[in-house]
Amino acid sequence: MLRSDRPAGGPIVNRWAALAVPAIVFLVIGFLVPLLVIASRSVTEFPKSADHSLLANYQRFFAGEANVRVLGNTFWIAGLSTVACLLIGYPYAYLMNLVRPRVAGLLLIAVLVPLWSSLLVRTFAWDVILRDTGIINRTLIAIGLIDGPLPLLRETHSVLLGMTQILLPFMVLPIYTVMRRIDPEYGKAAANLGAPPIRAFVRVFLPLSLPGVIAGCLLVFVLALGFYITPAILGSPKNTMLSEFIVLKATTGTLDWGLASAMAMVLLVLTLVVLFVASRFVRVRDVFGSIDQE
Amino acid sequence: MASRFRFAALGSAIVMVVAACTGGGATPSPSVAAPSAPASVAASASASAATASGSPALAEVCTAPPKHEGQTVTFVSYGGAYQEAQRKGFLQPYSQLTGVQFTEEEGTDYAKIKSQVEAGQVTWDIVDVGNDFGLDANADLLEPLDYNLIAKDQILEGFAGTYRVADMTYGVAMAYNTDKTAGKVPAGWADFFDLQKFPGNRGFWKYATGGVLEFALMADGVDPKQLYPLDVDRALRKLDTIKDSIVWWDTGAQSQERIGSGEYALTMIWNGRGWSAKHTDNKPVEMVWKNQFLTADFLVIPKGSPNKDIAMEFIAWATCANNNANPSKYIPYGPTNKFATADPKNVADLAVSNVDESTAYFDDAYLVDNFDELDAKFQAWVGQ
Repeated sequence: MLRSDRPAGGPIVNRWAALAVPAIVFLVIGFLVPLLVIASRSVTEFPKSADHSLLANYQRFFAGEANVRVLGNTFWIAGLSTVACLLIGYPYAYLMNLVRPRVAGLLLIAVLVPLWSSLLVRTFAWDVILRDTGIINRTLIAIGLIDGPLPLLRETHSVLLGMTQILLPFMVLPIYTVMRRIDPEYGKAAANLGAPPIRAFVRVFLPLSLPGVIAGCLLVFVLALGFYITPAILGSPKNTMLSEFIVLKATTGTLDWGLASAMAMVLLVLTLVVLFVASRFVRVRDVFGSIDQE
Repeated sequence: MASRFRFAALGSAIVMVVAACTGGGATPSPSVAAPSAPASVAASASASAATASGSPALAEVCTAPPKHEGQTVTFVSYGGAYQEAQRKGFLQPYSQLTGVQFTEEEGTDYAKIKSQVEAGQVTWDIVDVGNDFGLDANADLLEPLDYNLIAKDQILEGFAGTYRVADMTYGVAMAYNTDKTAGKVPAGWADFFDLQKFPGNRGFWKYATGGVLEFALMADGVDPKQLYPLDVDRALRKLDTIKDSIVWWDTGAQSQERIGSGEYALTMIWNGRGWSAKHTDNKPVEMVWKNQFLTADFLVIPKGSPNKDIAMEFIAWATCANNNANPSKYIPYGPTNKFATADPKNVADLAVSNVDESTAYFDDAYLVDNFDELDAKFQAWVGQ
C-alpha cells in the first residue's frame, strides 16, 4: 500500500499493521521467551557436583572431545546436504521453469509429495532398502555381481541421501519462485545481442536467479543443522549431530538442562555467525525481500 | 527403561527449542518379568501378604483400598501394549474397587516431570519410569514413598527405593537369529565377541549406561558381581575387537526388527523385544540368559502432585502380592513382589525365571551419578 493512500489525519500506524499482532505475540511467547529462558539456563543451572561459575556449562561442553567433533560434524553434514540439494534442486527448478505449466504442476507435486509423508517412515524405508540384507545387496549377491554386501548404509553418503530427499523441496521451491519471475525477454535480448545460450545463462539468467539460490541454501542449511534422527538411523556414530546430544542431555540421566541449553546456544550463535558471514557476500534483505515483490 | 530416545521431536525443528520440549515417539517396550518366589509360595498370595508384613494397614490397602468416588488421578506410562496391560491389570480393577478414575497419558518423559515440578504445575500423579530415574539425583522432583503403606520387604531386593518402587522386572540379555548362527547356540557373551565362531552383525543399544560396557566386561571375564565401578577403558578395548561389526540401535523396535530380519546375527536386547520377535513376528529368534541384567520399571510420584495420597495408595495396592501379577495376564511381563505369581503360560520366558548366579544387576545410582563421565568416554570412542 502506498503511503499517499493513507487518509490525511489517519493513524500514524497503518491499521493493517494490527493484522501482524497475533504473529508478533506468537513469536514473542513461543520463541523469544523460550530462547531467553534457554540462554539464562545455560549460565545458571548446573549439576550439583559441577562447577557453578557463569560459563561452567560452556567449559564442560568444549572440554568434551566428542562434543566438539559432533559440533563440527553438524555443520559439515548440513553443508554437504545444502550442496547436494543445490546440485539436484537447481536443474530441477530450471526444468520446471522451462516446461508447460501443466507439466510444471506435475513436477511441483512430485517434489511436494515427500513433504506429506512421515520423515520417520521415509528414513526407515531407506534403512530397509540399503541395509546388508536389503533388496539392493540381496539382488546384487543373488546375480553374482558381489560376494558380500556393499556398505550402502551407515556411511556419510547414506545420511546425505536421506537428508537430501527430505530437504529438497526447501531448495526447489524458493529457486523456482524466483526463476518464474525472470522475464524471458531478457534471454531473448541477450541472444539478440549475440550471446550464445550458455553465456546468456551464465551472464543473465543465473545472476537473476541467485536470490532464490541463496534463500534455498539458507533454508536447507538451517533446517539441516537441527537434524539428528536421519543421521542416527542411516549413519554410523561418526555421523552423530549435535541435536542428538542435546536430547540425550535434556532427557536422560540427571536431566542436565544447563548443559543442554549451553549446547543449544552454541549451535544458535554459530548459526548466526554463518548467516552474518553470508550477509557480507549477499544482501540478505534482497533474498527475503524478493519474495514479496511480486 | 529406554525413555531416552524421543524419535518424534523431529530433526527439522529449530534446534533451540529442544531443551524445552521433546515429543513422544519411540515407545520402548519393557520386557517380560516374573517373581523370583517359587510358585508354591504364591498359592495364597493375599494371605501371605497380610502375614508377611504383619501390618493391618498393609493388608487392607491390598484388598480393600480406601474409596475416593469421583476423584481423578493421572497415570503416565510408556504406551502401547505395555500400558494396555497396566490399564487392564491395575487401573481398571482399582477403579472398580475405589471409584478412582484414571486419566492416562502415553509417553513417560523425565523432562516433562522436571518442567511440571519447576513450574509448580504438576498434572502427572503416577509415572512409570525406567531404572535410570527416581534415584537421589532426582530427589528434587519426586515425593518420597510411604513405606508404611507399601510392603517394602516383599519387593525384590534392591527394587524399592526412597522415591520409587518397581512395578515389574525385565531382563537385558542376548538374542540370536538361529538362521544366522546356522543352528549353533552362543554360550554367552564371550561368543558374542567371537566373529570367527559367529559371523555377522552385532547389535548394541547406543547408550553408554544401558549395558553395553558391562556386557563387554563380562565377555572379557569380569565377574558379574564385580562390575562396578566400571573399567571403561577395558570395556572399550574389548568392544574395539568387534567395532566394525557393531550396528547400533536407538529404539527397542529397531533391535526387534533387525534380529528378526537377520540384519543382526546376535544382539543385546530387552527380553520383551526378543519375545515379540519370536512370538509376535514369528522370526527364528532365541534368547541367551547367561549374564542377563535383571532390572525393572518403577512407579514414582512427581513432587507436588495434588493427588499424592491417592497415588500412594494406588502404588501400594499395585505392588501387593495379590495384585502385582495382574498385568501378566495380558502381556508377558511379571511382578516384582516376591509373593506374586505371573501367568503360568509365560513363566519360562520371564527374566526372573532365568535368574542364576551369572545374573547381573545394574548399579543404577552409580550409572546415573557418573553418567556424564561414562557418556563422554563412550561418545569419544563410538564416533571415532
